[in-house]
Amino acid sequence: MSHPSPVSLQGVVTLHVNGEGAQVGAALHDTLLTVLRDRLQLTAAKRGCNQGVCGACTVSVDGMPMRACLSLAHNCESVEVRTLEGLLDCPHLQALQAAFASSGAFQCGFCTPGMLVSARSLLQRDPDPDERAIRSALSGNLCRCTGYVKIVQAVQAAARSLLPEGAAS
Amino acid sequence: MTTLQGLYRPKTVDEATALLAQDAEAKPLAGGATLVAMLNARVIEPAALVSLADIDEIKGITVQDDGRVRIGAFTRHRETAACTLPLGSAAVVAHAASQIANATVRNMGTIGGSISFADPGLDYPPALVAAGAVIEIASVQGRRTLPAAEFFVDWYLTALEPGELVTAVLLPAADRGAGVYIKHARVAGDYATASVAACLHADARMSVAVGACGPTPLADPEADALLSTDRSDAAIARAAQWLVARADPLDDVRGSADYRLLLIPRLLLRAVRAVETAHRSAA
Amino acid sequence: MSGAVIEAAACAGGVGQGIPQLEANEKLTGSAQYIADMARPGMLHGAILQSHLPHARIRGYELSQALALPGVRAIVTGDDLPDGHRMGAFIKDEPAFAKGKVRYVGEIVAAVAADTEAIARQATRLIRVDYEELPAVLDPAESLAPGAAVIHEEASSYVKVFDAGTEGNLCSRTSFRAGDADKAWAECDLVVEGSYQTQAQAHLSLEPCGALAEIDATGRVTLWSANQSVFRVQASVCESLGLPMTRLRCLTPRIGAGFGNKMEAHVQPAVVLLAMKARKPVKLILSREEDFESVRARHPATIRMKTGVKRDGTIVARETELLLDGGAYGDDSPGVLGYALLMNCGPYRIPNVHAHGRVAYTNKLRFGAFRGFGVPQVTFASETQLDEIAHQLGMDPIALRRRNMLAGSDPWFGGQPILSNGLAQCVDIVEKASGWPQPSAQGASDRQRGLGVALTAHISGLLASGAIVRVLEDGTVLLNTGAVDIGQGSNTVLTQMCAEALKLPVDRVAIASPDTDGSPYNWGTTASRVTYVAGRSVVGAAAEVEGKLKQHASEMLECSVEDLELLAGGRVAIKGVAQRSVSFAEISGRAHWAAGGPIIGTHSWVFDQKTVDPKRAVVEGLPFPQIGIYSFNALVVEVEVDELTGKVRIVNAWSACDIGRAINPTMATGQIEGAFVQGMGYALTEEMVWDGARLANPSLMDYKIPTFAELPDSIHAYLVESNEPSGPFGAKSVGEIGINGVAAAIANGIAQATGVRLHQLPLSAERVLNGLLAKDDGEGAA
Repeated sequence: MSHPSPVSLQGVVTLHVNGEGAQVGAALHDTLLTVLRDRLQLTAAKRGCNQGVCGACTVSVDGMPMRACLSLAHNCESVEVRTLEGLLDCPHLQALQAAFASSGAFQCGFCTPGMLVSARSLLQRDPDPDERAIRSALSGNLCRCTGYVKIVQAVQAAARSLLPEGAAS
Repeated sequence: MTTLQGLYRPKTVDEATALLAQDAEAKPLAGGATLVAMLNARVIEPAALVSLADIDEIKGITVQDDGRVRIGAFTRHRETAACTLPLGSAAVVAHAASQIANATVRNMGTIGGSISFADPGLDYPPALVAAGAVIEIASVQGRRTLPAAEFFVDWYLTALEPGELVTAVLLPAADRGAGVYIKHARVAGDYATASVAACLHADARMSVAVGACGPTPLADPEADALLSTDRSDAAIARAAQWLVARADPLDDVRGSADYRLLLIPRLLLRAVRAVETAHRSAA
Repeated sequence: MSGAVIEAAACAGGVGQGIPQLEANEKLTGSAQYIADMARPGMLHGAILQSHLPHARIRGYELSQALALPGVRAIVTGDDLPDGHRMGAFIKDEPAFAKGKVRYVGEIVAAVAADTEAIARQATRLIRVDYEELPAVLDPAESLAPGAAVIHEEASSYVKVFDAGTEGNLCSRTSFRAGDADKAWAECDLVVEGSYQTQAQAHLSLEPCGALAEIDATGRVTLWSANQSVFRVQASVCESLGLPMTRLRCLTPRIGAGFGNKMEAHVQPAVVLLAMKARKPVKLILSREEDFESVRARHPATIRMKTGVKRDGTIVARETELLLDGGAYGDDSPGVLGYALLMNCGPYRIPNVHAHGRVAYTNKLRFGAFRGFGVPQVTFASETQLDEIAHQLGMDPIALRRRNMLAGSDPWFGGQPILSNGLAQCVDIVEKASGWPQPSAQGASDRQRGLGVALTAHISGLLASGAIVRVLEDGTVLLNTGAVDIGQGSNTVLTQMCAEALKLPVDRVAIASPDTDGSPYNWGTTASRVTYVAGRSVVGAAAEVEGKLKQHASEMLECSVEDLELLAGGRVAIKGVAQRSVSFAEISGRAHWAAGGPIIGTHSWVFDQKTVDPKRAVVEGLPFPQIGIYSFNALVVEVEVDELTGKVRIVNAWSACDIGRAINPTMATGQIEGAFVQGMGYALTEEMVWDGARLANPSLMDYKIPTFAELPDSIHAYLVESNEPSGPFGAKSVGEIGINGVAAAIANGIAQATGVRLHQLPLSAERVLNGLLAKDDGEGAA
């Protein structure tokens, strides 16, 4: 029986990143993280472990936070990818940025892009998350600097700022 | 550099199994949570990958005509964890799914990909064994099914033959029971140091399985029989000893073998009491 | 409470205000450039080859296959290194990378520069190294025993910056004596003795180590790297490669944290050598596994401690013996040893002390600076031993501590005067806030709660810093200190100080990026020293600028300098006559074009308070003759022990720190919270495990740090301001102190909850359960 032909080893892959189509060269084993950072110069997503544990590479794929380091670029042709750079107009993200800044919810900043992508996704799904929901949603993003306290506070503050007046829990 | 030669994107199970049959080095790629991490670490260097992402047949959770709940192999952990269908005692599987890694990895990993890797520290294997799940497997020869207890064969070894693919996990029709998965790990998201899956079926029958204490999940029919009639502390302790006798845990960074043996009766007690409580509140 | 009244912040963002980090915008938009994000035209990519043997002579290298791989541009090995050039913070025992010998599994043996990282990595796998294996020594006690294989044959000839006593596998030794501990035991009503064991902890900065070097047409090298000190990088690279320091310019990108891991060299010497050989820029970023295996970690320690007290709880005598596993190279080990011994008494009066220790070389990766610098280890012993004493005397643990706490004009162990001491206030706060001694309502029936306390201290002053403050043509100000901001916010804090000193809003002061060409020397971002040491330089340089501004203004306004004051917003005015004023811009214009020259203020100093007063203590092998200015911490934690599994959860924590003055309170509490959680990992779950000579868990799958899920229900951080007279705006330090007491406080909490006393870290669920079972069997403390 006939079967689909494979993508070649040093192929060109068409990705949809931050609202734009992009054709980039990618080897078959290149991850989405490698392609975003090295071919598209979108360096917000970071390589902290390349094993999917630290969360510094978290990007939004079809609206859900996913590990760019665990996604093969050639397997991402049919999905919408958003990195932090492509979310800057999002009101949820902006509320988080303001809250992170005033709360001191980052120090070295290396985990921050992944953290913001995960937190934004949470606020879109759950506009009034309690502390437990915040911790659970973000437990896949490691931070070694802040001890997490101010991040939780910042997500709560961002949520409050987005709710219609008087609707805060 | 890896020796990868092709990424295939079949649209049907038949296309996928044909590819796997033709290319012995080809590996199926589901969510990537396991496989791509291994690729990045150069632990594996497959010649070709068969992406299952376009095969609709193996996605989603549905109730079959025979009442069994069918979880497609390409169902993400997030979906399994959030399943709102009545599952009865097979809810242990959803409960296990909810404790895998973290929310982001649960967006990516799939049940088929996870169990095909057969890491004994995984959360699905003991839950599937306790629930009496059945694994559906496809190859160019057709489909076959296997009870979960027979699917997990050894450390990182399943009963999958070359060219075979997990297509679905079938859970028994929902009874009016409860199921609970107790996981003990160093930190949230870690592999289990030890775990216990407990199912209390509506007919008061109990089935339990222990994870991360040997090459495959530990289950003992005598232990299940005892717990089905007697769930006093003493009976639980006795049942635990039969499970301990079957255990073959490792010393690793998550815990020593001795510690794991200590944990089995303790976690079993906790799991039995928890599933009894869950059953009472559901009633 | 605090001392003199401190003037409220004059302008927006000044001292005492929790303004956001200056780098907020770039970090929150993802545009911050860390080393891995940087690119230079024509750049090559590097990869390292690591040793798979713990101890071996290198007989030769076979590079032909690797060189033949298309895309490979340069390979460097020990053969490219000049003989006799070694680096090292205290003992110059370390080549740029392995030369002649490898001394640990994971050590860098060669490096490749190629067109892509994939090619470079593939090339490393084609390099053949001819090793002659030697017996390996993995245990520090065995390493010091007669007959052990010698790790550094030339140890006695290495240059040492202090009297280290290096001999055989003994890297360094230090000893403090105060009073007469040997005789004082006889005066004690109770003597408690114990042995303690602590583990290697990995820093786990989210950013792995990396560097990028570029060589120009004149042969001068520019080097960016993940670092905690551009000056230490410059010194290490030049010493190990035999380059004059004028040949190397070190710059810094944004840094993804350090905690000590990036304080001394990692791949920088290899990367510079690659760039020099390839004559093209080379960037090399370590993988997470390579970072785990090759860089550095916290010293494992064996501690024997003995404390003698009177019946009323007064501490009379202390003996501490410390054995640190130093790993293959000295790195900061002598400093960690000396400092741990200096801090071994804790913040208490102990008149008779014998504190001594050794660092042993072993065939493992070098152990070095890590937040706390030996104090978490020694505090685990001292603060748990104090609790055991309290228990045996039937005294409340906090009451025992209050009885002995340094207060009033008590000096630190060794005799250094303490001019600001807010410890009592710290203790008051946490004792009250925690509900001591009663833990909160018990959880489930198979969980037990308990409270544990620890008091600790940490220094603020060490070595040298400088600052240059320049008034630009438009009256705005540029500050340059050479201090690397590793994410802790020093750029912001130093800018706040400069702005406050000159009564400017923060947005009119810019801070330059550290550059060995243009910045004044700053030893490094380590030892919690930047706020105090660089801060004093900032204040000094700003004062000089103020003087010059006033000199100009006095001429412009025709009055005497004494009649002038700074007004908020960048003006100099006659006191009480605000209309008679000139702006900084006007003054600077005059200075640039008419008289005096552009206004520059500078300040350069080295911390010079002696650590030890020879009338109070005798020291042998003191690596830091001048170190001091103590911050204080009182910590209470509430633990919950799962009696079925032994797993410990932290329910609440109350940590009060006397930091002199909070320049930026938000950042200060952020340091306390972050340090606490890192300390929780050290206390409960983190452990680098060796399988023979090989690290068994060099990955985040297997080495686990706390996640959001482990965060306690609450961490309360309190800032106490005792106003250090010598400190800039009264400030002391806050960077490390928050971690020092965490393991001890948790161990004490476990003991209060269950009666189980553990003397080994981490306090894993397994160890706690074994302790609970032993107790049930009547075997007493572990």
